[in-house]
Amino acid sequence: MTIYNLYLFDRDGQLLHYAEWTRNKQSGMTREEEAKLMYGMIFSIKSFVTKVSPIDLREGYLTYTTNKYRLNLYETPSRFKFILNTDVHAQGIKELLHQIYTQVYVEYVVCNPLCQLNKPIESELFAAKLDEVVKQSPAYASRPA
Amino acid sequence: MSRQSMRANDPKKVSGELFTLTYGSLVAQLLKDYENVDDVNRQLERMGYNIGMRLIEDFLARANPAFKLYLGVSPSIGSWSPGGDEFSVVLETNPMAEFVELPDHCLGLRYSNIMAGVIRGACEMVQLEVMAWFIADQLKGDNVTEIRVKFVKRLEDAIPAGED
Amino acid sequence: MAEEAMFDFIHMEAVSYVFQGGEKISEDEAISKLEHMGFATGYRLVERLTRESGRYKDELDIMKYICKDLWVTVYKKQIDNLRTNHQGVYVLHDNRFRFLSHMAAGKQYLQYAPRYLAFTCGLVRGCLANLGVTCVVTAEVTQLPACKFQIQVQRG
Repeated sequence: MTIYNLYLFDRDGQLLHYAEWTRNKQSGMTREEEAKLMYGMIFSIKSFVTKVSPIDLREGYLTYTTNKYRLNLYETPSRFKFILNTDVHAQGIKELLHQIYTQVYVEYVVCNPLCQLNKPIESELFAAKLDEVVKQSPAYASRPA
Repeated sequence: MSRQSMRANDPKKVSGELFTLTYGSLVAQLLKDYENVDDVNRQLERMGYNIGMRLIEDFLARANPAFKLYLGVSPSIGSWSPGGDEFSVVLETNPMAEFVELPDHCLGLRYSNIMAGVIRGACEMVQLEVMAWFIADQLKGDNVTEIRVKFVKRLEDAIPAGED
Repeated sequence: MAEEAMFDFIHMEAVSYVFQGGEKISEDEAISKLEHMGFATGYRLVERLTRESGRYKDELDIMKYICKDLWVTVYKKQIDNLRTNHQGVYVLHDNRFRFLSHMAAGKQYLQYAPRYLAFTCGLVRGCLANLGVTCVVTAEVTQLPACKFQIQVQRG
């Protein structure tokens, strides 16, 4: 199992943080452009799915899987979007994302008066804790050599 | 105040009072800084708004009733408007105002106004634009403390740049 | 318990208020406002805490009380180390000070750290004033989230 990368967006679609663990190819565009595409894609999928879905989609967690990778979207009620790309076998990602929100984002951004909530996150401690939590997760630990 | 007697010096209880005391010192500072009580009220509301935006995250991460969690009291909700877009939050006791008596020259002060701001800030974070204001205040001789909350509109996610 | 969160958040707003409060005031003035709020809070807080805990043997005894009971009540942990020169100077080391612990582990934000210590300097001074000890309290950070508070007792 492998964890590729993570995007954190606020509800205005602003990229607050980006981190990567396994990424063999860069997109060749700037981080901002890439983020804009990612947010746009998520936005479109969500609004399309909401239109065609027979059931009310309010859960705040959505994944889709291609034959190569899985995209995991965890959306907090305050509409922060945590997007984690993993391989198709990764387990326990929903729990991991919940943990990232409650134990990393809330602890080191919300409770850090020097982090403004609507600005890209500059805290090194946040980045370090995020890395720690991801690397401790089973989905990361069991990745094949 | 009848509750005073039972809460002598249990450190746990005092730890809850810490907020009340700190808040009192803050309000005192604001009264010193501003000549106009309305400015103090406005500043308190704005601070509450800022707090609400952070507090809601802390709250969502814990998932428990908010008033009970943060203020140690359970308000009642009622007085819904016929349209269902407006209601009251009623506190039998207001822990924030526990040691407070308003001096005469501060009668215009809405001492706990920060609470209205907290409600507004917190709701905004979960996509609800609301107005919140005090309509009854025990510090001003009312029987209860009552905050009126009015639903304004539902906020939607931002549309990505370059689309419509 | 979540009431702690309310204390943290109100402190946060107090700091941002004095530093962005419209009127242009100097860093020193802003710090002194926070110190003042801390003093008022500490002075009243200690009254609620010590009502029945009796008299203290001496000054050192009072300092131990600050390091243990007071710190636990306010910051949910004890002071990690207390040193004194036995001539009225006490240094309190907190290896993981609550108001800094969510900010950084290292030197990031170091220049802002003093803003988050001023209230506490006042709080300690207020407590001690109420217990009959007049003093000056200053704080120092070299590496977050650790800090030390120095209490200089004024004898007169």
